[in-house]
Amino acid sequence: MPPTNDILLSVEDLRVHFHGEGPAALAVDGVDFHIHRRETVCIVGESGCGKTVTALAILGLLRQPPARIAGGRIHFDGQSLLDAGPAELRALRGKRLGMVFQEPMSSLNPVFSIGDQIAEAIVAHDLLPEAEVRGRTIQLLDDVGIPDPEQRLADYPHQLSGGQRQRVMIAMALACGPDMVIADEPTTALDVTVQAQILTLLRNLKRVKNMAIQYITHDLGVVAAIADRVYVMYAGIVVEQGTTAHIFHQAGHPYTQALLAALPTRDKRGQRLYSIPGSVPHPAYKPKGCPFHPRCEYTQPSCEQSLPEMCDYSGGHHARCPIIFEHLSRRQNHS
Amino acid sequence: MSDTLTPILKVQGLKKYFPIRKGFLQRVTAYVRAVDGVDLTVAPHQTLGLVGESGCGKSTVARLILRLTEPDGGSIQFKGQEISRLREGRFKSMRKQIQMIFQDPYSSLNPRMTVAQSVAEGVRIAGIRVKSDQQRRIRDLLEMVGLPAASADRYPHEFSGGQRQRVGIARALSVAPRLILCDEPISALDVSIQAQIINLLKDLQQELGLSYLFISHDLNVVSYICDHVCVMYRGQIVESAPAADLFESPRHPYTLSLLAAVPDIGKTAWSPQPPNESLQVSPAPQCPFGGQCPDSIPECQGEPQEMVQVGVGHYVRCRRQTLR
Repeated sequence: MPPTNDILLSVEDLRVHFHGEGPAALAVDGVDFHIHRRETVCIVGESGCGKTVTALAILGLLRQPPARIAGGRIHFDGQSLLDAGPAELRALRGKRLGMVFQEPMSSLNPVFSIGDQIAEAIVAHDLLPEAEVRGRTIQLLDDVGIPDPEQRLADYPHQLSGGQRQRVMIAMALACGPDMVIADEPTTALDVTVQAQILTLLRNLKRVKNMAIQYITHDLGVVAAIADRVYVMYAGIVVEQGTTAHIFHQAGHPYTQALLAALPTRDKRGQRLYSIPGSVPHPAYKPKGCPFHPRCEYTQPSCEQSLPEMCDYSGGHHARCPIIFEHLSRRQNHS
Repeated sequence: MSDTLTPILKVQGLKKYFPIRKGFLQRVTAYVRAVDGVDLTVAPHQTLGLVGESGCGKSTVARLILRLTEPDGGSIQFKGQEISRLREGRFKSMRKQIQMIFQDPYSSLNPRMTVAQSVAEGVRIAGIRVKSDQQRRIRDLLEMVGLPAASADRYPHEFSGGQRQRVGIARALSVAPRLILCDEPISALDVSIQAQIINLLKDLQQELGLSYLFISHDLNVVSYICDHVCVMYRGQIVESAPAADLFESPRHPYTLSLLAAVPDIGKTAWSPQPPNESLQVSPAPQCPFGGQCPDSIPECQGEPQEMVQVGVGHYVRCRRQTLR
């Protein structure tokens, strides 16, 4: 376990509500997590669990209204981001905090060459002489594995394949040597072999550039490939956290267990897949207590009363389910 | 030949070349060999997986079978009858027996029609004329796909992604098909919902004796659901094998790299060696995998390679297999 003073990003009790017609949607409803320096942390969850909204809140990119940060604290390297003004956030974004989104085509400007767009990301923070900017742009393209970077500077986004576009996005995120990159489903739109290339690239870059990665995904396979630690989100809260080994081999929350059981794999041929009954609750109409209780196999009357506390398994493994926790500790005491 | 042995679908040498036009006169300068001599066999009550990456031609194969796109060559036999050259009128009655489920159920459902109206179209086409019989059939179909009876009068936007896919399945079933072409039916769905739809497809297969052509890029899903798998690359089938064989002893270098690229929660040391990216424009006549292949040998440059049998029902399109 790294020492706690090595924490780069900490999010405490973050609450983001969306106001529209009817009751407010509690998209993020008390989220706590932290990321150490040089650590890859995956935030995993299904659509609507609040994982992207959390990332946008960190980056200060939520449109307010309709969003409203209803509570919590976000600290990046000691600086409170929720108290920072727009100028301070702008200085941080792209410089110390890089970002990569899912659809590179819609994040890249179609009428500027990729060289210009990467250069813009550099110049926005570091006013360097033109030759130096060009040199750094070529270096960045080389770092992200674009062949013949000098020849590609003048290319436009439409001339690149999906994987290469995502490489360009990563180059832009790395433009100013960030301490952390937030990547929101960067490989979801890509083919598996291209996804493998991008994941390998991110793993190598993280090591070479000494940066932390917050990787948001719905794909448990990707989590296994890239994460040091994992947070599982459901309906706006973190339900489980731990190392990949904890999550995949000793899952302590029924939701995590159900997700793993629902994955179709070769070993499950001939067996029926576990399917979680019902569907994810609407963020404006969440059930009282544990938000997973209407779909859970282990539900007890207490689950409907109040949101369960995080139960502490050793080694940084926490899960928000006292039922499983008691069951496991009882079994441990017996043996 | 007995009925159980006649394949429900037999595709041979299927071809579709899309012209690339250039210049003011839009002259055809080259062809994209989207589907370049594809052979497939779907056995009755079985699921054939067709896997490959985007642009490999797998969806085009499905469109060609249904003749949503006209093929440029090859034969398509449905229950032993050639259907690729039937006139539109004759083919219409055939098409009832082959249905399709699409990736995005939202864009394939009419937003102005209630679920009952969408499904009713198929029920009428299936020849049920009496109103009350139609109503009963719609109710049965919705029940079959696990939708509450009350959903009949609701519109597509009122449903979640998984429920919409159920509507798409109900509509496909409304004409009582024998074969369903499933084109990435669960790719757009969340993990917990994927399992529900996969279970539903398996249940329906058993209850109704359906056959599936299951098109997907997700090898985990394919390894779970399919009986036999064909791997497609740049318009050609490069490997075809019973699912267990394909995943346990893959033979084609492309299949190997594809399998290595799949992140797997069981794999701790995941180190893929994926092929290079490049565009699909008129590949050379030799091996389509050529330039990207880690194992290529001078002999790969020769004539196009035929499929070579390497096991029971296991075929590979690779020159190296002939030299063993």
